[in-house]
Amino acid sequence: MSETQVGVYIVSANRLLRESLARILNKRADLWALSAQEINATTAAAIKDSGAEVLLFDSVATILSKSESIEEFLSGAAHWKTVLIGMEMEEDTNLFLQTVRRGVVGYLLNDASAADVVSAVRSVAQGGVVCPPRLCRILFQYVARQAAEIPSSRVRNQIGLTRREQQLVPLIARGFTNKEIAAHFNLSEQTVKNHIHNILHKVGVEDRLSVLHVYRAQGFEI
Amino acid sequence: MKTIRVLVANQPRLMRELVLATISEQPDIEIVGEIRENGEIEQAVEQTQPDFLIVALEESDRLPETCRLLLEKYPHMKILAIAPDRNTTIFYWASLSIRSNRIETSEFGVLNTLRGKPQLAGRVM
Repeated sequence: MSETQVGVYIVSANRLLRESLARILNKRADLWALSAQEINATTAAAIKDSGAEVLLFDSVATILSKSESIEEFLSGAAHWKTVLIGMEMEEDTNLFLQTVRRGVVGYLLNDASAADVVSAVRSVAQGGVVCPPRLCRILFQYVARQAAEIPSSRVRNQIGLTRREQQLVPLIARGFTNKEIAAHFNLSEQTVKNHIHNILHKVGVEDRLSVLHVYRAQGFEI
Repeated sequence: MKTIRVLVANQPRLMRELVLATISEQPDIEIVGEIRENGEIEQAVEQTQPDFLIVALEESDRLPETCRLLLEKYPHMKILAIAPDRNTTIFYWASLSIRSNRIETSEFGVLNTLRGKPQLAGRVM
């Protein structure tokens, strides 16, 4: 293990995967690999002592485990880069986003090749991230949706809209009907009508279009 | 020396490549084919007549129906089914009826089973 090599720790319940993947990585002059069956107190200490920069998991369930030892271990993810091979799952948006929140910076779908794994390890070791294009799209959409839905305290202070009322405004701007807004937020149509009524009252206007005019006139983006 | 003829049909792709990496450097093992789609297995077995077929083990640990039919049709052939997401490998062969043994999911376990020494492949369940 020289200082110029990147250390990889493979964590997998499948011994064949651990052995053969470690052998493939160890054949590369710039990499070395060790492996563990699971994260527990002993292996966590061994991984920390090994000086590995990259952790390679093959199980979404392990990454998202509620186990205290794994949560504590992954909370130290700043020390290393975590790559996940989604071996056991189909593409699942929510699971993907949860793994990103757990600190995963490299994500490979289960159709990845061994060469893809080697490439991902090298990329994250150099500070990059690895994400399949269709999951990148999910990330972009998520960030865009968050930006649209994050309520502004300035709106609350200046116009007095609640968090939920603020969330309705972008949908009003997009021409959604009450029924569509209700479906979007999983609310009843009557609840949406009540929210709209309150918005009109607080903004001091009589129709939806005027809400948007006032909103923009106050300098808010919709 | 008679080589052991193996047809590799594991899913997903990474597992297939890892199995190939495990057996490809063995002088006594010949890879007669690599199957990327399960639908191609039957035709490939017919064409290559392997000694061993290596496939993915389903979540339920049950042998795919196609493999059951293949064992009945080609009783000389043996099947090694490896789970990609857990430490489970099952060795199937046809001797009057289809029989099976759970073997160790490791390079050692796989190679010993291919070499006809499944008893050395670890714990038999």
